[in-house]
Amino acid sequence: MLKPPRLSVTILLVLLLAAALVLPFFGGTYAVKFATRVIVIAIMVISLDFLIGITGLVSFGHAMFFGLGAYALYFVSPEAEPANAFIAFPLAILAAAIGAAIIGALAVLTRGFYFIMVTLAFGQMLYSLFHDTRFAGGSDGAYINVKPEFALGSVTILDLGSRTSFYYFCLGALVVSYLLLLWLARSPFGRVLQGIRFNEQRIGALGFNPYVFKLLSFIIAGAVSGLAGALFATIDGYVAPDLFGWRESGVAIMMVVLGGTGTLFGPILGAILYALIEEALKTSSYVGSSIADHWSLALGVILIAAVLAAPRGIAGLFDRAAKPAAAFPPSTPGQTRARRPQRGKELEVESLTRAFDGLIAVDNVTLQFSPNRVHGVIGPNGAGKTTFVNVLAGTLRPTAGRVRLDGEEIGGWSAHAVARRGLGRSYQRTNVFLPFTVRENCLLAAQARHPSPFRLSARKNAAEEAAEIAYALDAVGLAARAEDRATHLSHGEQRQLEIAMLIASGARLLILDEPLGGMGPEETGRVTALLRDLSVDHTVVLIEHDMDAIFRTADTLTVLVEGRVLAHGAPQDIRRDPAVRKAYLGRYADEAPG
Amino acid sequence: MELVLVQILNGLQYGLLIFLAASGLTLVFGIMGIINLSHGSFYMLGAYLAVTLTSWLGDIFLALAAGIPLAFLFGAAIEWLFIRHLYGRDHLQQVLLTFGLILIFNELQRILWGTRPLSVPIPSYLSGSIRLTEVLSYPVYRLAIAGICVLLALGMMLVIQRTRVGQMIRAGESNREMVEVLGIDTRILFRFVFAAGVALAAAAGIIAAPVETVYPGIGERVLIISFVVVVIGGIGSIKGAFVGALLIGLADAFGKVFLPQFASVVVYALMAAVLVARPGGLFGRA
Repeated sequence: MLKPPRLSVTILLVLLLAAALVLPFFGGTYAVKFATRVIVIAIMVISLDFLIGITGLVSFGHAMFFGLGAYALYFVSPEAEPANAFIAFPLAILAAAIGAAIIGALAVLTRGFYFIMVTLAFGQMLYSLFHDTRFAGGSDGAYINVKPEFALGSVTILDLGSRTSFYYFCLGALVVSYLLLLWLARSPFGRVLQGIRFNEQRIGALGFNPYVFKLLSFIIAGAVSGLAGALFATIDGYVAPDLFGWRESGVAIMMVVLGGTGTLFGPILGAILYALIEEALKTSSYVGSSIADHWSLALGVILIAAVLAAPRGIAGLFDRAAKPAAAFPPSTPGQTRARRPQRGKELEVESLTRAFDGLIAVDNVTLQFSPNRVHGVIGPNGAGKTTFVNVLAGTLRPTAGRVRLDGEEIGGWSAHAVARRGLGRSYQRTNVFLPFTVRENCLLAAQARHPSPFRLSARKNAAEEAAEIAYALDAVGLAARAEDRATHLSHGEQRQLEIAMLIASGARLLILDEPLGGMGPEETGRVTALLRDLSVDHTVVLIEHDMDAIFRTADTLTVLVEGRVLAHGAPQDIRRDPAVRKAYLGRYADEAPG
Repeated sequence: MELVLVQILNGLQYGLLIFLAASGLTLVFGIMGIINLSHGSFYMLGAYLAVTLTSWLGDIFLALAAGIPLAFLFGAAIEWLFIRHLYGRDHLQQVLLTFGLILIFNELQRILWGTRPLSVPIPSYLSGSIRLTEVLSYPVYRLAIAGICVLLALGMMLVIQRTRVGQMIRAGESNREMVEVLGIDTRILFRFVFAAGVALAAAAGIIAAPVETVYPGIGERVLIISFVVVVIGGIGSIKGAFVGALLIGLADAFGKVFLPQFASVVVYALMAAVLVARPGGLFGRA
């Protein structure tokens, strides 16, 4: 997860800020104007990084909100007197935020390639709208004759017409935007956004509604971009449809990547570097007139080289210098507390059917999983076990039938809605947030107890969550590895992490899809003991291939064959059931320990 | 009534042209997993090839015959030089590299052909109009455009349905991982698919050149419209691209008549409506 910038970066940023502060005393008019432009673009670019690098939404239309902010300022500026910046800038931000809410509501429905294309298309739509119609100057653009000023009543506090005061105002806006976005990205809200970037499905399964989080992120980024647009329009007092253009959006992405995605400070460096490269390429005394004439050719070549050679951007240079974290930091054992018995949730399934294009994967299944028991579900490969789980957890919609959780009908609900009712699941293929540490994975899970997107304070509930995480990690035996990234865990440890996340999430009914896969005998023994222990305050539904383990652990067993329930009952009855022996258990039934 | 008929013809002809451009885009998405922003540049390449080749060879159809193989070779070279480095990389890097390609192509275009708008003559034997009704006539060359597009589309269908390469493309259309598992040499397949997509986009650019002005930003307009078509039709679906392109063609043609100021917005409104109803596109997998 995003950390505050390390010391070397902080020093660099402070030095840059100091240089920016003294620039007007040494640089001429051109330098100040150039720096103002870079600063304003940097505001836009960090907001784009909030989308791309934090939430993982690659938007190719971010300039449209920049354009909306700029045009909003034009619309609120009177013909011959200055607009009051106290009103004009908030209105510009609001206009961009509303635009982002409308366009985002549609665009966020899509993912990946689609999202890129849809944002590009909507950006182009706004471009055409302002280009083809006459209501704001059309393709010629329009002028803001008098620059806005901050005024209270008739007293002017800050006149943005003055180049230097406007420069300092923009610098302040950049610092505030950066700190605001950094704070948001590190808040509980931002943690979920970061989770979406790496594993949206898991975020949904924890009970967060990914759509709402992505949309809010889109609106926030759009609003900040709108502020940048309004500032940009103030520089020259001129707006043109090109501000919406996809070329602007593309260049902004370029700056984000040049600087380093997902760092928020990197894109500021990217904006500076880009501006310097562009300026150098355009200046024929540096590069010769043939390059200066065709500078965008050189820019394209540099861009391609940068993508292929340094995909992590400038920020990547700082990361490499970091010392690797100690592999096994000392842990504090002995936090295990006795489980307080608590009623788990009851799950009832009635005539549940799920078909795929005529193939019936789950066929008229009726079952009851009573509270505080471990319920095993077994069956040969292809019996429909995973489809069954996916329908229960809301990943797939049932074709027919009912699913009730503590009497409430949940069939057909989305995964996050089901999760919010207290149904937690793990996946057959390990499904954690690989780039996050073990503790951060559990933190997201613990946070799911309060899945509202409007949680910004990390302090509220922090003690409760820390206790849950410590308990969960201790229970699965991962406490010593809390600060390791999940990607560095062995396969068995990742499975244990999944269980820890379920415990931390506060779910009362756990569906575990082959939790023992990839575990050695010792780990298996510990995890099965843990599952038994979990039934004190959970209902556990266990899908497993390890017959020894499941017969030892489960209170009831269900045998699924070809999507149907072949048998259901206590393990000893299932073992004796002739149909089960014939269809499935075979040799195992004779040798099983009594 | 006459106006409606003319707009239907215009819409279909425009839609067919866009289909040629969009089909390459959707195949490259579907089979290679690449988002190619520079696809519009290949339409532009076609348009400028039409200018040069027609002035050398004297006829737009000779230019088409010579231009398609040239564009195919150009596409294969671009795939070998740049695109193949992107397989398996994330979307962001694909977006950036192909955006870099646009900058390069646009600048090369400026160097080779300049910024002045150019035009290509309609061949004299197709310069007339056909009388459709008492009061209505329609340019022959525009009908020829539609005819050539249909021929090329049929040719593409034949390749996809009847050849071994087509078999791989169909396998890739439904399941990209499958192609890799089957042990097909994806390097050759990908190069062929990419080059074919380039050739189709260029073909569209060549035959459209006589009826539109050839100017520097020509490719970008086509790129964005092709994206809209792919979003409407569903990524990787040729059928979707066909239906989407005709819808867009008709929406654009009628938008120009009934909502002249908002003609370009009509197309995006159509896209928004499809997104709400089917976020995966009309013929999308999801």
